[in-house]
Amino acid sequence: MKTSPISTPAQLAKLAASARKAFLAPKPKILVGAATCGLATGAGRVLDALREQTNGKLDGLRVLETGCIGACFLEPLVDVVMPGQARITYAHVTSEDVPGILDALAEGKVYEKRAVGRIDAEPFLLDDVKKNYRRGKFAEDVRKVPSYEKVPFFAGQLHVAMRNCGYIDPSSIEDYIAKGGYSAAAKALTEMEPEQIIEEIKTSGLRGRGGGGFPTGRKWETARKAPGDVRYVICNADEGDPGAYMDRAIIEGDPHSVIEGMIIGSYAIGSHEGYVYVREEYPLAVKRLRLALRQAEEMGFLGDNIFGSGHRFRIRINRGAGAFVCGESTALMASLEGRVGEPRAKYIHTVESGLWAKPSCLNNVETWNNVPVIIARGAEWYASIGTEGSKGTKVFSLVGKVNRVGLVEVPMGMTLRQVIEDIGGGIENGGQFKAVQTGGPSGGCIPSEYLDSPVDFDELTKLGSMMGSGGMIVMDDRTCMVDVARYFLAFLKDESCGKCVPCREGTARMLEILDGICEGRGRPGDIDLLHELSEAIVDGSLCALGGSAPNPVLTTLKYFSEEYRAHIEDRRCPAKVCRALIRFAIDPDKCTGCAACVSACPEKAISGEKKEPHAIDQTKCVKCGVCVDACRFDAIEVKQGSETE
Amino acid sequence: MTEGEDTPFTLNGKPAVAHPGETVLSVAKRHGIHIPTLCHHDAVAPYGACRLCVVEVSWGKRSKIVTSCIYMPYENDSVETDSARVRRVRAMVLELLWSRHPEVEALRDLAGEYGVEEPRFGADPSEAPNRCILCGMCVRVCAEVVGQHAIGYARRGSERRISTPYGDAAEECIGCAACVFICPTGALHYEDVGGLRLMKELQTEIPLASCRSCGEPFATEQQIARVQERLNLPKEVAETCPRCRGTQHRRAMEKVLVTKRS
Repeated sequence: MKTSPISTPAQLAKLAASARKAFLAPKPKILVGAATCGLATGAGRVLDALREQTNGKLDGLRVLETGCIGACFLEPLVDVVMPGQARITYAHVTSEDVPGILDALAEGKVYEKRAVGRIDAEPFLLDDVKKNYRRGKFAEDVRKVPSYEKVPFFAGQLHVAMRNCGYIDPSSIEDYIAKGGYSAAAKALTEMEPEQIIEEIKTSGLRGRGGGGFPTGRKWETARKAPGDVRYVICNADEGDPGAYMDRAIIEGDPHSVIEGMIIGSYAIGSHEGYVYVREEYPLAVKRLRLALRQAEEMGFLGDNIFGSGHRFRIRINRGAGAFVCGESTALMASLEGRVGEPRAKYIHTVESGLWAKPSCLNNVETWNNVPVIIARGAEWYASIGTEGSKGTKVFSLVGKVNRVGLVEVPMGMTLRQVIEDIGGGIENGGQFKAVQTGGPSGGCIPSEYLDSPVDFDELTKLGSMMGSGGMIVMDDRTCMVDVARYFLAFLKDESCGKCVPCREGTARMLEILDGICEGRGRPGDIDLLHELSEAIVDGSLCALGGSAPNPVLTTLKYFSEEYRAHIEDRRCPAKVCRALIRFAIDPDKCTGCAACVSACPEKAISGEKKEPHAIDQTKCVKCGVCVDACRFDAIEVKQGSETE
Repeated sequence: MTEGEDTPFTLNGKPAVAHPGETVLSVAKRHGIHIPTLCHHDAVAPYGACRLCVVEVSWGKRSKIVTSCIYMPYENDSVETDSARVRRVRAMVLELLWSRHPEVEALRDLAGEYGVEEPRFGADPSEAPNRCILCGMCVRVCAEVVGQHAIGYARRGSERRISTPYGDAAEECIGCAACVFICPTGALHYEDVGGLRLMKELQTEIPLASCRSCGEPFATEQQIARVQERLNLPKEVAETCPRCRGTQHRRAMEKVLVTKRS
């Protein structure tokens, strides 16, 4: 479709109507989940095969890339729109499935081998409508595929931030417009006063999705009122929490939503210049964002006189070089200025004096992405979702030992149990739930007795953890909580910028103590010393990285102190994880002498005659566990105590 | 805090006033209240890194720890410079630093004042002892006062150290040694040998210039060029050592006086 620049809301409405018509055209369409998660599991090969084999096969068939729909445990995912029927989701698709999928589509049939779900209607969240794909009756095989409402992973979810992820081609601005995109910006810039927008955001109850949970409307209000002519709008896309990828998915799958949010924000606070600080480790996100910015400029959504309102606004991309601390607002701004990414004290807030000492309004990707929805659907609608203090939805990256790993978006207030058990399908391999770590590395570990707590900024903080940016790492009974605390602390110690003493030296010392405990060198005073260090680091650190760094230790000490004591007092790791405190042994009754472990062992620590029980030489064993995986008879046991006793 | 107006607040239970832009540290100094610092120096901008100058600010039941070298009080703040919570942070900061730099006497003395008798953390045997506590005064004086940016920080976290770019001789260094003079722990040194100024820790050697008059080396060539440029001095003045300049000046004055008298 050839489109010319848009300079009035009426022109946008006209374009939206034609784009929607094209989007919903009753023609076959294949969407391949080609976000980083999909590509990592082989979506690229599927895409190639599809493009090669569709050549002229089906009239009007389009093969498109789309973003992440969230079901990472089913990747690679391919969605097929069957005209007049439904949209069928195929999971674990490989290039070998491609001929079958295409043949089935040509015959108007479902490729049953891979079908896992059916979307009956295309949702248009911003307009509050759903358009049924179906014309007339379902074909028998289509009807048999369970609809998304019946697929447990999707049933409890509510996609607001991810409204377009997996539905649109992220490289097509027409797709975004077809879904109602940029209509909120048009409305805001031509029908609303800046103060009115701020009021709307305040009423919606939107709080910052990056970690702090600060009320967005209040932040905007302060930025607007701050003296001076120059103000900046910044999008923090420096997502660095291990295991978290909400922001990446949003940018990869729906880059225009972030841009639109920033346009609305810029008008509300009176800014003409915006920055997206995105990490270089997200090359696809950078690529999609760059393209989206160019498209938005070409359409006139960025530039001078946007929608004829007189407002001018431009966005530039800056790539971060991989320092976790640059996700901290003042460090991010220092990095944007071309200086070393180190935090400074925030006694004067960045909304008053931030980038180049000008008022700067920084929000996270997901926060910006929520803004167009609030403007389009109204603050009341938005505020009707969620809890008293936490409104709307939140995207979580549900990872770890759960059956269904992926990005899930749920209304605030849903309990952790619902997220982990109903959506995540509980613990993998029939294991026992032990803890869930929320809020990224400096969040906390929440034990099973609090599983019925709701996901809510304030409730999670009460438990000693936090909402953070939405990481949710589930742990089972085979996880050692001391080891977990050590893992997160090691991450934070490595990522400490080193500017202030408590964070630089304190986290290093805490890690030394935890290393000692895990290696069987724990001392009686260690727990007290960890508490003492934690207090000084929390109180004395310069920025939030240090201020929250002890959290994983503090929460595991609070909820799992008996595990610490077992390590220190009994030199025992109850979860049998800490290598110095366990040994591997072969059960002679179970061992068949197949020698699989002998050849697998990298240290040549296992010996024994064929068909005779084998034995492990404890002096050579490095406790890597390769033998356990190699043994088909479950004959290798992990025992407590490091020596043969 | 309104610009141009003093801010009344409470300092250790007594009324105090902060002038516009004034920090708690500065107000405390005016009131004769000592707050220990390691990274503060009047010649350079506040940095807030050592965390020794922390104080406790409270409003009613709520309180928080802030760094006095940066924090400018708000009206109705109640600031305590030596509360138990403050002392706990300072004691831990000192214990952490002392354990890392056992040879820095000033740390031991200060730690003693906060009840730390022996650090509970061992020195890192893999690291050669060094006296640098990363207060960053050298980096800041070079950037802010000298204007050269010849040194900065390398790496991060506990690996952090002061370094020239890429650890090579710093092209920007003019050998003024301001970094050496400002260093509070004696971690940086310089030495003038064989017509060169050696900045050992910074892997940098700068040629020394000799005085036009007496022929003795007295400053580095770049330093002289820099001073001449900044102060717009005649070349012959800049290239003469301070002692010879004094002598010349005295002679010139004598000449004037003699001429006047006669």
